[in-house]
Amino acid sequence: MSWEAIARKDFEDAVRSWWLIGLTALFVLLTSGIAYFVRPPAGQTASSNDILNILSGTLVTTLIPLIALIMAYSAIVGERETGSLKLLLSLPHSRADVVFGKVLGRSAAIATPIVVGFILPALALAIGPFTFDAGSYIGYILLTALLGTVFVAIAVGFSAAVRSQQLATAGAMGLYLVFVPLWGAAQFPLQIYLQLSGGVPGWVPLTGQQLFRMIRLLNPTGSFKIVSGAFLNGELFSGGDVTLQVAAIAMLLGWLSLPPLLGLWRFEQADL
Amino acid sequence: MAAIELTGVTKRYDDVTAVDGLDLTVPEGEVFGFLGPNGAGKSTTINMILDFVRPTTGDVSVLGYDAQRDSVAVRQRTGVLPEGFDIYDRLTGRKHVEFAIRSKDATDHPDEILERVGIADAADRKAGGYSKGMRQRLALGMALVGQPDLLILDEPSSGLDPAGAKEMREIVRTEADRGATVFFSSHVLGQVEAVCDRVGIMREGTLVAEDSIEGLRDAAGGEERLELTVDSASSDDLDAVRALDGVESVSGDGGTVVVSCESSVKTKVLSTLEARGVTVKDFETTEASLEDLFLSYTEGQKQEVSA
Repeated sequence: MSWEAIARKDFEDAVRSWWLIGLTALFVLLTSGIAYFVRPPAGQTASSNDILNILSGTLVTTLIPLIALIMAYSAIVGERETGSLKLLLSLPHSRADVVFGKVLGRSAAIATPIVVGFILPALALAIGPFTFDAGSYIGYILLTALLGTVFVAIAVGFSAAVRSQQLATAGAMGLYLVFVPLWGAAQFPLQIYLQLSGGVPGWVPLTGQQLFRMIRLLNPTGSFKIVSGAFLNGELFSGGDVTLQVAAIAMLLGWLSLPPLLGLWRFEQADL
Repeated sequence: MAAIELTGVTKRYDDVTAVDGLDLTVPEGEVFGFLGPNGAGKSTTINMILDFVRPTTGDVSVLGYDAQRDSVAVRQRTGVLPEGFDIYDRLTGRKHVEFAIRSKDATDHPDEILERVGIADAADRKAGGYSKGMRQRLALGMALVGQPDLLILDEPSSGLDPAGAKEMREIVRTEADRGATVFFSSHVLGQVEAVCDRVGIMREGTLVAEDSIEGLRDAAGGEERLELTVDSASSDDLDAVRALDGVESVSGDGGTVVVSCESSVKTKVLSTLEARGVTVKDFETTEASLEDLFLSYTEGQKQEVSA
């Protein structure tokens, strides 16, 4: 398969980049650090799930999107600018092969820091005063890899759509700012506004609560928190708000597939 | 069937017409030299053949396929050395060739390919450290993977030293002997003269000449002007030279003789005069070269050459 050849080449290329090595080191350091500092006081035990809950709200949802965007924002436009894309497309690959091969290759590449980043804390947890729940630990790693893949897909889609590296850099920074700090920051003033103005304006067919659920869901990190939280509490699809969980999964899959498709649509039309 | 067929192909960018109503047919098995100065539209044409760029109007068909709709099928059977390409800095030469082999589902051996293009000793070094010439060789190696029916080489000699350019020509000849069609561009005539069956000369987006090298040579006159300094030459002596096969015209004023002739009869002219007792003190030849013709096509006024 053609996209497989691209994915493999891209993975081999990406894992040799200093960016990936540096970011992996940073991620390992931070996860291990957090696991160490929040360990329960002597004489008490905690579940490894508690640690993951802490990591999830802080490190994972801020750092994984960042690593994914850094690793993938120039995946296609970078090759287009240097000219290696000409070498790539001299071979019998379609432009769709390029986009999907890149998503796959870079997703595999971001899985590397994620897996490595969780192995070391796992050792600390296993020997520390924890009850180590291996099943949910592995499941959580997979979910985190999915979050990384979603952001890789967004970045690759963007990278396929734009003409210049600068635009891709600005886009990646913009996407990060929107999804990570600004999204949360915008919710508070919105809440105040809604309270002061007496609720959602009449033309919006949603209640205030629905609106906030929508905002939470729309952001892939928000959807990830919903899914991973339910998973760690052992109630994924079985307890809590199941509709919300399903919506969150659907949203993640949407973010996974739509940006690459839109990027491909633009890329297909472009003169290289 | 034609290996490459362009019919009425035009490519316009915002305010520039890079290629203007180009018709071009390259039969299978031919070595075609695509000439012209930089900016004449050669690379744009090649980019349309490879579907990197889409024509504004016109049809491009390659190996019987529609170049745009069936581009993957075209590239499956084509080896390409693109212009303005870059390699993957972090991957070794061997990884590059392996990638090409995997992409084409070919059965070549990476080492043999690298050997052929002369960089086998650098196979396990990261290509980021390669010189321009080595990168060119690596890309050529990737183009040779899978015994392509068509080779498209855009300025293949750029970055190569004269020895490298010679090796490049030898590879082109080997591939042509195998039966491949070779289409390559150059802005230097000397590089294509020795290997091409036919050449086309591009200028400002149109094809201003399309002929065999022989045909171009004929168009250039293919003659030499021989200027001799002699002790004395009678009109009988001049008549004797005039009577030789391949001599076009002779003029003389006693001390000098000017002969227009095919280059093959130069020595015959000299020996004829000497046999008649004329002492040739000195002589000089000037050739109306192919290079002059090429320059007249590409540098002269456009109206002159297309008229």
